[in-house]
Amino acid sequence: MAALQTSAPPASGGSRARPRIGRTRTFGQRLRQDWPLLVLTLPALIQLAVFFYWPSAWNIIAFMDYSPYRPFWDNPFVGFAWFERLFSDPYFLPALGNTLKFALAQLLFVFPLSICLALLMHSIVSTKIRSTFQSIVYLPYFFSWVLVVTVFIQMLGSDGLVSNWMLGFGGDRLSFTTDGNTFVFLAWMQWTWKDAGWGMIIFLAALASINPSLYEAAAVDGASRWKRLWHITLPGIRPVIVLLLILQLGGILTVGFEQYQLQREAVGYQATEVLDTFVYYRSIIGSQGESFGTAAGLFKGVIGLILILIANNVAHRLGEQGIYQKS
Amino acid sequence: MTTTAIRAQRPRKSNRPVWDEEPSLVGKLAKAAFMICYAAAIVIPIWAIVATSFASEEALQRAGGNLLLIPTDVSVQAYQEIFSGGALTDSLLLTVILTAVGTAISMVLTIGAAYGLSRPGTVLHRPLLLLILFTFLFAPGMYPSFLVVQQLGLFNSYWSLLLPMALNAFNLIVLRAFFMNSVPRELIDAAKMDGAGEFKTLFRVVLPMSKAILAVIALFYAVMYWNIYFQAVLYIPSLDTQPIQVVLQRMLMSTQGLPGAASSAAQYQSDVAAPTAALKMAVVVCTIIPIVIMYPFIQKHFTKAVITGAIKG
Repeated sequence: MAALQTSAPPASGGSRARPRIGRTRTFGQRLRQDWPLLVLTLPALIQLAVFFYWPSAWNIIAFMDYSPYRPFWDNPFVGFAWFERLFSDPYFLPALGNTLKFALAQLLFVFPLSICLALLMHSIVSTKIRSTFQSIVYLPYFFSWVLVVTVFIQMLGSDGLVSNWMLGFGGDRLSFTTDGNTFVFLAWMQWTWKDAGWGMIIFLAALASINPSLYEAAAVDGASRWKRLWHITLPGIRPVIVLLLILQLGGILTVGFEQYQLQREAVGYQATEVLDTFVYYRSIIGSQGESFGTAAGLFKGVIGLILILIANNVAHRLGEQGIYQKS
Repeated sequence: MTTTAIRAQRPRKSNRPVWDEEPSLVGKLAKAAFMICYAAAIVIPIWAIVATSFASEEALQRAGGNLLLIPTDVSVQAYQEIFSGGALTDSLLLTVILTAVGTAISMVLTIGAAYGLSRPGTVLHRPLLLLILFTFLFAPGMYPSFLVVQQLGLFNSYWSLLLPMALNAFNLIVLRAFFMNSVPRELIDAAKMDGAGEFKTLFRVVLPMSKAILAVIALFYAVMYWNIYFQAVLYIPSLDTQPIQVVLQRMLMSTQGLPGAASSAAQYQSDVAAPTAALKMAVVVCTIIPIVIMYPFIQKHFTKAVITGAIKG
């Protein structure tokens, strides 16, 4: 994942092997030599320009009283008025609260679970059992949210398979797929079912890169299994843990859209409203207009950007690599 | 003690290293129980869905729920209905086409940029790379993206499902790391020495060496397009033929009997009567099948290719 560094070290004999004259070539000369590489990069850059940077620039309407029916520069600038509107909106703060609640739940109860699963896998010696278990648990990662929600309703809904079994044993039907109060728990089960296996694979890859002779040396010196876990395994995967934590923090206001939109009708909007569904229901299909929805999205994007920069800075101070290096 | 002595005499069957102590029986059992439960929580629902899709309506009613584990009288009626040429067939066909075209577009963009940016020191390398890396830090937001799609005239056009999400920066960076670290620089230099230009080098030398990772990335894109739901809800609300995930969602809502479900289900119900449980589950199976088919391949290559590439990158 250090791939995200901007200044990845050159491969053996990489750019450093270029003759020093290369440094003194003019821009035109370099262009004449490297233009095919630019041509190859161009389609991706156009895509980014049109569908990433152009919409990013449109965020400016969060500071305008925007109407699509007048020329763009006739829209008056209104400063932070829309953000004030946002914070006085009766649905915004609950949506923000839900978003933070779900993000925190993911951080505390799904992220560590992936690490534990990976450690468990790491302790299994038989490659056959390992590969069978792995292929089963990360299959649902590739399922769509529609599918995941369907599976949960079919299994745990009030007419679901488990309800039927419970009836058979004289119990009651389950009702928590339609209960707003327990939605966090339902969402946690869905995250675990869908994503924990995937997280496990990433940590397993990190675990595989730990030098096995470290374990042997520690064992020979009398370190118990738990000691080895604490002193070798966890430090070994620390960079990956830190990296994923930073990314999670950056995405703390981006908890997804589909999972909540899909269960909105069954569970109720109070429990499922997050920032993305707020923008969609209040602004895109609601009546709050372009500037309002854009302000909500920009708030989310800027907070995410700030959090990721802070987290990365802290990681640097703690001596970790983080997602990019200071250069 | 004695057990250790016996174990020492026996030829070691497991490949547990000599220095590692054998875990206790309780620990082993607990681990096994946990893993079996975890795997069952994934396998049983999938099995029940497949079983139900082959069940007749009577068998389902006897079971008294919306899922069963053993279909007593197997019927393929649900599948006949899906492939009989109605709205469901159209939807599946559309999703297949979207997946194929989308994956092709995405691969062209990703391969081009990954190779174009794989050599530090070339002209404009660093600023262009920063432009791509910035997409990890910020998201433009749903409304501005929606506005741009409208301005380009892509609203209610299938292109709005393909173009806005065509490039995944993470895939790009992973592929770039592979090109930089796993394709020997000497081979590229040799090709150049023989007079091959960049394009020829890419197609004749670099791509043939990267088949496994290219396949994995293509499959990731394919899964993304196959699972399209949110973009369809947002960008093509009024088109008649919707991607399969949207249709599935409407079928699900139409039988949940919830307030508000009627509006989203109305469009679907107008041409098909309330779907039977078997039909619903058959559609679910159809959305799972492509994923399960390509899954062993991802399994085989991706831990090696993507993750090691990304971490060592």
